[in-house]
Amino acid sequence: MTSTIEKTSAEEIGGVREVHVAVIGSGFAGLGMAIQLRRQGIEDFVVLERGDDVGGTWRDNSYPGAACDVQSNLYSFSFAPNPDWPRTYSEQPEIFAYLRGVADRYELRDKHVFGAEVTAATWDDAARRWDVETTAGAFRAKVLVSGAGALADPSYPDIPGIETFAGTVMHTARWDHDHDLAGERVAVVGTGASAIQVVPAIQPRVGSIAVYQRTPPWVIPRGDRPTTPFERGLYRRFPAVQKAVRGALYAGREFLVFGMAKNRRLLAPVQKLARTHLERQVRDPQLRAAVTPDYTIGCKRILISNDWYPAVSAPNAEVVTAGIAEIRPHSVVTRDGVERPTDTLVLATGFHVTDLPIAHRITGRDGRSLAEVWDEGMVTNRGSAVAGFPNLFLLVGPNVGVGHTSMVYMIESQVAYVGEALRAMAVEDLAVLETTPAAQEAYRELIAQRSAGTVWLGGGCGSWYLDRHGHNTTLWPDFTFLFRRLTKHLDRDNYVGTPERETAGVAA
Amino acid sequence: MTAAGTTPTTRHEVHAVPTPDGALLHATVDGEATAPVTVVLAHGWTLAQAAWDDVAALLAPDVAAGALRLVRYDQRGHGRSTWGGTDPVSIDLLGEDLAAVLTALAPTGPVVLGGHSMGGMTIMALAAAHPELIGDRVRGVALVDTSAGELSHPPRTAVERLQQKLLPAVGGWAVAHARRVEGWRRRVPPTHPRHRAVVRGLLYGTDATEEMVARGAAIMAGSSVRAFVAFYPALGAHDKAAALAELGTVPVEVLVGDSDKLTPVRHSGKLAEAIPTAHLQIVPGCGHMLPQERPDLVTAAIRRLLPAP
Repeated sequence: MTSTIEKTSAEEIGGVREVHVAVIGSGFAGLGMAIQLRRQGIEDFVVLERGDDVGGTWRDNSYPGAACDVQSNLYSFSFAPNPDWPRTYSEQPEIFAYLRGVADRYELRDKHVFGAEVTAATWDDAARRWDVETTAGAFRAKVLVSGAGALADPSYPDIPGIETFAGTVMHTARWDHDHDLAGERVAVVGTGASAIQVVPAIQPRVGSIAVYQRTPPWVIPRGDRPTTPFERGLYRRFPAVQKAVRGALYAGREFLVFGMAKNRRLLAPVQKLARTHLERQVRDPQLRAAVTPDYTIGCKRILISNDWYPAVSAPNAEVVTAGIAEIRPHSVVTRDGVERPTDTLVLATGFHVTDLPIAHRITGRDGRSLAEVWDEGMVTNRGSAVAGFPNLFLLVGPNVGVGHTSMVYMIESQVAYVGEALRAMAVEDLAVLETTPAAQEAYRELIAQRSAGTVWLGGGCGSWYLDRHGHNTTLWPDFTFLFRRLTKHLDRDNYVGTPERETAGVAA
Repeated sequence: MTAAGTTPTTRHEVHAVPTPDGALLHATVDGEATAPVTVVLAHGWTLAQAAWDDVAALLAPDVAAGALRLVRYDQRGHGRSTWGGTDPVSIDLLGEDLAAVLTALAPTGPVVLGGHSMGGMTIMALAAAHPELIGDRVRGVALVDTSAGELSHPPRTAVERLQQKLLPAVGGWAVAHARRVEGWRRRVPPTHPRHRAVVRGLLYGTDATEEMVARGAAIMAGSSVRAFVAFYPALGAHDKAAALAELGTVPVEVLVGDSDKLTPVRHSGKLAEAIPTAHLQIVPGCGHMLPQERPDLVTAAIRRLLPAP
């Protein structure tokens, strides 16, 4: 009755498919988790993906110019190096292709249910199972792993009149490739990471482009170049070389932590680099003033681009700093009373990061959703487990984000940690593994302590790194190798385990 | 629904106007297409349309009231505008650029043109090449701190002859090594007192405030080495004395600062003499930057040119 681990029972029972592990999402996190499960010999799992393909953020963000700010040699799975990256910093199509390739290589597609958006996941305390409702049927899992990332659900700005806009509105994360922008008057809302990629890509094609800016980003040069056939050949023949390059890139980026999290003065040379970059590329004194940030570099995400400043300096472009007052059917009106006729509205307004939408859909033992529990701020143990939510593990959850290096490194750390937890459950024959409030409190203390004095809290800016209470709930505030060390083994003391046999007794 | 929904707003558009030789001219248009007249402003050498900001601010109520439409644009190679395929550049080319701006942004209806320094010369070049536009389309012209020609003279001394010989080579070198020259320029930025002192001495009158000088210096610091070098000979070659008569069919306002060193008062005097419809104003205590030094007078002159409603 409770034996759900055997493959035979994975068949549908009363329309509900029973599995050992259900993974939500198939981006880097979901795929990484699936591979980890395979490695541990766990075959009874399913990946619930709301889209029609793997890839997650790198599937959805297909806007023109979409690319990664981290070198591909580093922004890829350590166990699946790709010697054939065409550029040092890859663009979205290559990263998407890489993830699809990984899914194929590890034969993970069979494990996927596509079109399965999780609408509700509820812990059934009597059965010790997660009841997972999706748009592609119901599932019942012993363990639930959420790989629904932070850059998943587009955030739409609440601008008066936006619903009355008669032209096309599109979010960068939901790009309409059938819509032709040629000759149009385009408004881009936002100057974050998506905006500075999409604007240079569309600026030469559009009639005019107005970029509505709230806070300018710091931008440093992008050392991007096509890879040479020699490099690719070298990486193919000697994988160790690529591994060494990856290591060097990792180490180089980790140096930024000294400035961001330890001593802000160390960021001065980076800020000088950004300022010189700006002054070289922007000649117009008014534009220069408009795009010069007034906060310490690193406080908001540092962006890299060689074509952002030239694009906003182009003859058909302008940066608007007056702030949007309202949107009318055919125009955008700023607070200074200026009305700009507009055909298409591009929302480069980011994602629900500090209020993860998946948190509203996961309900724990006491009937409260994760979002409700997190209302006072996100608390977790190691960004991965939450008290009151047994057998639930989060990937790319709170305080796992990084602004300076590859997210994939953090994901691999977390995936291994979840693997350790599953191993412990198997070894100890546990039905339930749940972290404790005390562990969460200690972890919150650790994060708060490490966050104090960082540039994100003290750099003089607001950002999506901070929640509405002004706490850092998004970033890992230290060296990433310390997170890996922290998640290398399961901190078993911070968990309470309930043996399987006892469960059977209780359930009977 | 919202307060902003009822408050009056001013329409603002940005255009990249293409020229036949492939340049893209950055133009901004303020006001409604239904306005009874379009005012088009052309800026001077190594400046940008920002040089008209003070005048535009004074005209803003007229724009908001729907009384006029204001077009400002960056001359090729200046501000955000690109260079196009023509080399060497000439004032005649700028005249054609202005014609392209008119075709693209004010294809019908009355137009009043305002030109500062090289912008004024641009208007003369337009009149010379397209006399049919004057009177029919162009209903008035403001020529501010400008000249019909004779800005350079044949070398008289050995030193001047040597200068004339070396200048193209020096200019060519500067453009070829623009990055290095830019580096030197950055060392003495417009915020530097010496930089400002030079700008003030060359361009501004005694009454100019430090703030005016600072802003003008910042705009010029934004111009490229190439704009400086490429248009210098074009200014020397400018000679549109013969075309001035074409402007005589519409009212013309001529303004100049009494201590203008680049286009001294006598140049405006010649304009006033050659154009029967001209009204000359010599502004005391001012130099070559009247749109910044006395935007009120320049705006008043433009208002006098507007057709009666």
